[in-house]
Amino acid sequence: MPLLEAHIVKTRRSFRLDVELRLKPGERLALFGASGAGKSTILSCLAGIETPDAGQIRLGDMILYPPSLPLHQRPIAYLTQNDWLFPHLTVGANVTFGLRGHETNGAGPWLEELKDRLGLGPLWNERAREISGGQARKVALARMLARRPPLVLLDEPFTALDHPTIHDLVDAIVKWHAELGFTLIAVDHRNQILERLCPRAAAIEDGRMVQEGTWPELEDAPATPKLASLLAQ
Amino acid sequence: MLAFTLALLYPLVGLAAPVGHWRWDGSIPGSTMSSVNVSLVLTGIALVFDIAVGTPVAWYLSRASGRDTILWEAAVLISVLMPPLALGILLSLAFGPSLAPGAWLLRMGLPTTNSPIAFVATQFYVSVGYYIVAARAAISSVPTDLERTAALLGLRPWQVFRRITFPLARLGFAAAVSLAWVRALGEFGAIVVTSYYPSGMPVQIWINLQDAGMPAVMPLLLIFLLIALPLPWAIHLLAQRRGSDAVA
Repeated sequence: MPLLEAHIVKTRRSFRLDVELRLKPGERLALFGASGAGKSTILSCLAGIETPDAGQIRLGDMILYPPSLPLHQRPIAYLTQNDWLFPHLTVGANVTFGLRGHETNGAGPWLEELKDRLGLGPLWNERAREISGGQARKVALARMLARRPPLVLLDEPFTALDHPTIHDLVDAIVKWHAELGFTLIAVDHRNQILERLCPRAAAIEDGRMVQEGTWPELEDAPATPKLASLLAQ
Repeated sequence: MLAFTLALLYPLVGLAAPVGHWRWDGSIPGSTMSSVNVSLVLTGIALVFDIAVGTPVAWYLSRASGRDTILWEAAVLISVLMPPLALGILLSLAFGPSLAPGAWLLRMGLPTTNSPIAFVATQFYVSVGYYIVAARAAISSVPTDLERTAALLGLRPWQVFRRITFPLARLGFAAAVSLAWVRALGEFGAIVVTSYYPSGMPVQIWINLQDAGMPAVMPLLLIFLLIALPLPWAIHLLAQRRGSDAVA
């Protein structure tokens, strides 16, 4: 029984996105392709930021589209290269922002783990507007995972970070995936990062999925010359 | 900058102008304290309506992307640009007993001229446009991505407004409230047509000027300035302080 079943149709200026996805609970899938292929649009439609023109999206028992389910009802974590921390709140208030009263009660140990693993302890009472970019990305990740969502969407969240920070964050996400069992879809223009995050990948070209499989399967027999070129970089 | 500031504040020198002995006694026509009470209480009520009605409208105008927004904006601007005297005359006609709304309100025991209701309604009409324009600018200054992020973290739209939009736009809202307060409190042209009685401070100042001259005007003018100016300052300072303190 898949956790996520999606058929997303969306017309953009340069292409028409028409992609089907089926992910089991706990599965990790990388969306791989050239810039402008439609990868981010897929995530944006899943998160509810954009509305598809047609298709359907189902997450477990919930129908996300159609009709488009309001953002606040979607149990989805969505992390992009912009942190969008709430500048008037402390780091701690940002991390616990999405937790309701009853969720906060049982979240103590989990919040402590997030805080310790990401080194947020010393920053906990700092204002979000006063921390560095790398720290902000960690806070955004912690805020996203604090709710323990069943579906996590990563849209190039490692952009503009240094290598040690990227390494640290990727390791943390893989570890927490093993513990929490969330389903993960990741987009990045660097396949080295995606290979560490996700054992499987879907290659997207001009709004269509041209191949899906493990990384060795894609590398051994890329479906298109463009994909072969991208994998070779 | 100093010269400009001095020029800007120069009219206050008028308070020291030789107009004769200020008449603080009760010999001037009308009731000074009564006009102060009328202005404070009824302007306060009008301000509550401004905020209650104007905030959702400002939010809609700042976030809606449809073409119809242009029409709503034009409607708001009409209320801002309308000459006060013209607005007062139009209000007294539109809500007068010769047209259905005014006749109905009169039957319900709600007189639409020379009554507290007329006073509050007129103040609402003259000030709500200013509140909306300023509040809209305040809301527009908050990135929609922050609101979307809050929604994705499970907050309903009104919770997003309360926890994200309003705190981040606090200074702008303070400016909107201040603007509406000053606009409503100082209104004369429309109020003098729709609600000569109960007389607020501007109308009372005019009555004093007509009946007893400048010596009777100056005390009420001083009270008027003391009431009109400190509240906006206080709101602005409070918003600034809370804005910098809001960390939890």
